[in-house]
Amino acid sequence: MANSVNISIEAPIENQIQEITYDGQEIYQAPLSMSENLARLAQKIDFAKTEDEFCNIKKEGESSSDSKSEDENKEPGYQSSLWPWDSVRNKLRNALTEVSVLADVLSIAKEKRYMVLDPVQPEQVENRPMVQVYGRKKALGAAAAVLLAGVERLRASETMRMTRSMPDFHIDLLRLRQNWRLKKVSNTIVGDLSYRTAGSKFSQTGVFEVTKAPEEQIAQAMSAAGPVPSALRVTVPPELQGVAFISVLCQKEQEDVVTATLSSAAINCPGTLPGDGAELHWQQKLEAAQNVLFCKELFARLAAEAVQLDASIPHMVVGNQIMATVLPGIQLLIGLCHNNGQTNNNANPEGVKPESATGKSDHDHVLEHSLHQLLRAVHHANTHHPFPHPATGPLGPSKRRCLAGPMAADRYELLDMSKEQSLLEQIIQQAQHFFMRRRSEYVLDTIAKEVKDPLIVSHWNALNSPTQSCVKINIMAYGYDAVCRTSLVVHVGEKTLKCICRDGKVRHLSYELQELRDLIYCQIYQHQMTAVQAVGRCMGWQLLASSSHLGSGPVEPLGNASSCLLASPNGDRMLAIRCEPSVGIQVFIAQSPRKDFFTSELVQDKKWEHLGGAFKEIKLEKMEGKNFLNKMELLMACLSSPS
Amino acid sequence: MGVTVLQQYPVPENKTGTYVIELLTKRILALGASQQGQFLVDCESYLSHPQMGTTKTVHIFHNSEQPASVFSILDTGTKNIHVIADGLFDLLMMKLSQHYTSKKQTKIESKGPRFELGDFCIKLGSVTMNQSFKGILVEVEYRPCVTANAVWNLLREFLQGLLGPSVPVQPPQHLLSRMNDIYTPIDTIYQYLEHFSAYRKITGMRST
Repeated sequence: MANSVNISIEAPIENQIQEITYDGQEIYQAPLSMSENLARLAQKIDFAKTEDEFCNIKKEGESSSDSKSEDENKEPGYQSSLWPWDSVRNKLRNALTEVSVLADVLSIAKEKRYMVLDPVQPEQVENRPMVQVYGRKKALGAAAAVLLAGVERLRASETMRMTRSMPDFHIDLLRLRQNWRLKKVSNTIVGDLSYRTAGSKFSQTGVFEVTKAPEEQIAQAMSAAGPVPSALRVTVPPELQGVAFISVLCQKEQEDVVTATLSSAAINCPGTLPGDGAELHWQQKLEAAQNVLFCKELFARLAAEAVQLDASIPHMVVGNQIMATVLPGIQLLIGLCHNNGQTNNNANPEGVKPESATGKSDHDHVLEHSLHQLLRAVHHANTHHPFPHPATGPLGPSKRRCLAGPMAADRYELLDMSKEQSLLEQIIQQAQHFFMRRRSEYVLDTIAKEVKDPLIVSHWNALNSPTQSCVKINIMAYGYDAVCRTSLVVHVGEKTLKCICRDGKVRHLSYELQELRDLIYCQIYQHQMTAVQAVGRCMGWQLLASSSHLGSGPVEPLGNASSCLLASPNGDRMLAIRCEPSVGIQVFIAQSPRKDFFTSELVQDKKWEHLGGAFKEIKLEKMEGKNFLNKMELLMACLSSPS
Repeated sequence: MGVTVLQQYPVPENKTGTYVIELLTKRILALGASQQGQFLVDCESYLSHPQMGTTKTVHIFHNSEQPASVFSILDTGTKNIHVIADGLFDLLMMKLSQHYTSKKQTKIESKGPRFELGDFCIKLGSVTMNQSFKGILVEVEYRPCVTANAVWNLLREFLQGLLGPSVPVQPPQHLLSRMNDIYTPIDTIYQYLEHFSAYRKITGMRST
């Protein structure tokens, strides 16, 4: 407000709108031509005004009659639109008449035969100057006495203040006024620290009183070392004194509700503010009181919502505590901690301290902050209605709802609009997401720790919303990341996970994270199979068969066994790889011509030795190589060479 | 919002409107539809004052499917101009009562049960004007599609199956010129206007 802004106003370049048709088309007036414009400007000339300026010498009677005749001429001039120059002509003609009459009068007066001009003596008012002078002198004297008395009083207090170098009450009041709303009610100064003007609809008032600090106290405070004391004293109502905050904790559900409330009731407040009562600066004091009011509003709102919402597991409101179930087995506790000086003295500090240590460690600052943010967003929405504000319509519905009528929204859309999420629901969603994210992080980290062979790298997106985040998981083998890598994306939501796999399949998982674990294990084994095929292709081996869902073998607890069959470049060796999530990877080898081929009665021909013999398992753990793919590469390399 | 086709169903001789509604309800329920409440479309017409020059008619429609909207169609004689507004438009018309007078006798409405069957929404409306029964209007909406051209054959087949071979199913007059345009709620209202205007011209009809 202090910086004034220059606003320049000018006529738009567009023409004036003459008419708006029903279909919204605007018909403009044609711009004026040169002559029309000249006529319009000439009509605007105020002839009466110029005459007054030129004819100062004229007598009063004449000029008044002139202006009267002007007025009479104006009316037909505006009404008759016969000819644009009509009024101008009339005015000029009148002027000519007047000038010729004046010339006649002057010429008659000059001859001094028929007419003589005499100066007119103004009437002398009879008055007695001395009476007036005395009257004025007395009145001025009385006024001066009042002012002098005031000045004397101000000067006295000022000099006293200056001599003891005390802070100025009025300067402090001015500073207070810059940041807080004050008003004078009879003899007291009353302020308001509530969030009403910012859009709050909380019923509790936040009235405080401003008084002048007693001089003895100021003097006392000044003698002590420390910051300069203020000459102001603010008195805050007792229910807003002290410090308050909203504690948010998430904890494992406890069997007994009573123990839960007992332990949680002991959440401790961070004492009082540094400095005590009166010595506290008024700014800090008011801010603390305002914070108390804000926390109270937030908690009152949440408690009301907790009672109204009908969740499957009902929310509980006990004393200063709201309990809501976030996920099975996990509770969200929202408490209002208000510490106003009096109770602090009564509570025994020994009993509170150890519990507060545990309570504080669980306190979730992020959720507390989002609660504050949510309420501020509600306040903001209360005061900032979307533009444009209709002149006749109600103020308050959302922009979508305003447009719903003209856009012919159907009943489903309208129902959708009427749904509004309460603060409690939103904070529960955020808490749910927080847990989902932490659990998925834990699962991914433990898998990455457990499984060494293909490396599992997870990238968490740094940018996420309070209820959604995203992680990209790459599965690859060290040294073979260019040959084959499997990547999948997991969207972590509020109660579900959405996994988008490499093949484009989307899987929705529940909050039970064993599902995510199983999925990643399946992906790891799939990766191994595709990677071994890719390595085989690089080595010139031929893929004979592959199946990702083998029907043979024992039933797997998760997924299916998969296998593939590779043949060496000259076709004399075959590798069979079988991968079962519960067993691991097995590799078998067969070669042709088989060494143990003997003709029998049934198989007599020698050519059948090329069929290849029985598969023999390779002991992978005994092989050289850093990881499975490395081992397979070495194996293929040595089998490719002619024996 | 899908494509809607409004079809008149002739009431056979010496049968009542409720009989026809019940008959059609049975057929629809046999197809596996479920009833989802009632619906109502009403129309009130206002005539302009003779001093304002040529007489114009304003038709004000309400459709329970768009409960927040008021549809108005200004019939100038040569062309129709429509405005979709929110509920306050009714109050505005009351303010304009000096210039537009309501013809109370011609207030006409179609109401009845509303069914949903998969992607279709079927409404069986019995049309009444001043409590006197006028006829049966069947409204069928196919919700996933927004252009009439793409869905007309499907709708025709559905209507033919529902109403029987005796009822000829033609594309509505209003939609003929805009088969390829995106269908909007006002197109439904235009179809109702066509049928309501036709019903108003018919005098003498059996009562229910």
